[in-house]
Amino acid sequence: MKKNTITKNRPHYINPYLGGVLLGLLVILTVYITGRGLGASGAVKSAVATTVDVVAPNNAESNPYISKFISDDHSPMYNWLVFESLGIFFGGLLSGILFGRVKKPWVEKSPKITSKTRLIAALAGGILFGIGSQFGRGCSSGAALSGSSTFSLGGVIVMLALFGTGYAIAWLFKKLWI
Amino acid sequence: MGPLIPNGIISGDWNFVIALLLGIAFGFILEASGFSSSRNIVGVFYGYNFVVLRVFFTAVIVAMVGFLYFDYFGWLDLDKIFILPTYLSPMIAGSVIMGFGFVLGGFCPGTSYTAIAIGKIDGLVFSIGLFLGIFIFSEIFPLFKDFYYSGYLGNVTLSDVTGIPAAWFAFAFTIIALAAFWITMLIEKRVRKNIKEYKF
Amino acid sequence: MNRNYFILTVLMLVLATGTLFLKQEPKRKQIKPEDLLYEIIQPTRYVTTDQIARIIIEKDPTLELVDVRDAKSYDQFALPNAINIPTDSLLSPNYQDYFGIPGMKVVFYSNDDILADQAWVLTRRMGINETYVMKGGLNHWIETIIQPKEPPEDAPYTAFEQYQFRKGAQMYFTGAKVDNTSQKKKKVIVKRRKKETAVAGGC
Repeated sequence: MKKNTITKNRPHYINPYLGGVLLGLLVILTVYITGRGLGASGAVKSAVATTVDVVAPNNAESNPYISKFISDDHSPMYNWLVFESLGIFFGGLLSGILFGRVKKPWVEKSPKITSKTRLIAALAGGILFGIGSQFGRGCSSGAALSGSSTFSLGGVIVMLALFGTGYAIAWLFKKLWI
Repeated sequence: MGPLIPNGIISGDWNFVIALLLGIAFGFILEASGFSSSRNIVGVFYGYNFVVLRVFFTAVIVAMVGFLYFDYFGWLDLDKIFILPTYLSPMIAGSVIMGFGFVLGGFCPGTSYTAIAIGKIDGLVFSIGLFLGIFIFSEIFPLFKDFYYSGYLGNVTLSDVTGIPAAWFAFAFTIIALAAFWITMLIEKRVRKNIKEYKF
Repeated sequence: MNRNYFILTVLMLVLATGTLFLKQEPKRKQIKPEDLLYEIIQPTRYVTTDQIARIIIEKDPTLELVDVRDAKSYDQFALPNAINIPTDSLLSPNYQDYFGIPGMKVVFYSNDDILADQAWVLTRRMGINETYVMKGGLNHWIETIIQPKEPPEDAPYTAFEQYQFRKGAQMYFTGAKVDNTSQKKKKVIVKRRKKETAVAGGC
């Protein structure tokens, strides 16, 4: 790819409202075809279940949470959300290539913090998001987006509480971003 | 007619192919809208970039309104689609935890996958965090089992709880979202004037 | 750019307002005429009197017998635990809760097949699944269960087995006859239909 010209240009994104309309239509299409919405954290849950099952099978069976996702018929990875999440990755890659945003591995961060700080925050954020998504029965795409769109009470609760918390605590972590 | 797979119009064998294709479309839209960048995403909390709010709310109102028309024309049976169950207290607690994770990490699960795709190490680290988080959850699950299942209200929709037809919710969400779009456009302009370090 | 956004805002508002005027009464899932015809030709809706007798004797709670004759005939004679919904009140909202309960089998009967069949077609048209017709109606019930005839000597073994069962059933139903009349008046507990959510899943 033409890296040199691209890194100098600022990233070019599609109009957010166009993206929103497309995403809304995609949610409708997904529900129209499969009867359920999109998701993302479910794939990681399957990955966790698989890993525990492979590394420590006895542990997996005795764990009351993981054992829910393990069956003798097939691996937990043989799951709708896993394939969908693979799709998310490839879709992102496709868009990245088309718009020239694929680069060598790098860390995006505020100039005020070090890469290490950014990565620690990202790890902590991921851990919290992982724990929260299990209590919340889904993440921002599964619960907040697909849930709210289908008028689910739970989806709207997740959406409001998730963004509400974000606004309430944003000033605490201002330095991380600007 | 729809949903197609539960109604047997498309065979379940196609499930995973369809999952992959829908995922690709999802990932493409997320990345193309700029969700592969954590600084774009968290901009919504600091007022310098409302792309999350725009994409998210546009998607929600388009889908809400679209579902109602699909149902009206008989293309989609809204009684047959999956309604996310409501577990009141664990959902609120989980969302608060996710809110912290959101501001700290700057991604949500779906967007972190697209960030990995274009080579962001922070996206990868966030996904590793997700993995660890869910693992930790599964380990501490016995302690929180009662809480996890508490506040169960069933697979209820807003209409089931309030008795108000879904169309009114779609209408209210649309009004709120459209108002938010115009207001945030003004906020964004003002905030961006005062930020020098961030290139837009 | 702002002008375009203005147009889009108005468009979205119009679309959202439009949903308020969509017909909001709950729609019945209607069966297509071709499908209905196919089902009418198929004999799968019929259950035999033997099957009904067996289910009643086994006290299977998933069976719901519906007598579609008029109230007078119902008071004179009815099958145990049957409820009376005369054909002309089938569409009455009072009785809608009896139909479409997941896991419940509704079996219609009348003196012969005709009334019960009509009730069955009507419920299929309303999109209610799991409804059946007792083949031959009460007339056949009397012939087979209440007054079973001994099969001729050269009949196959199964016919004798069936006869044995019918004799037993006869004892059960005629012997318990006194019980029946008091049971019949018992209030039938109405199970309310739950909203169906067909697909499970999530994030």
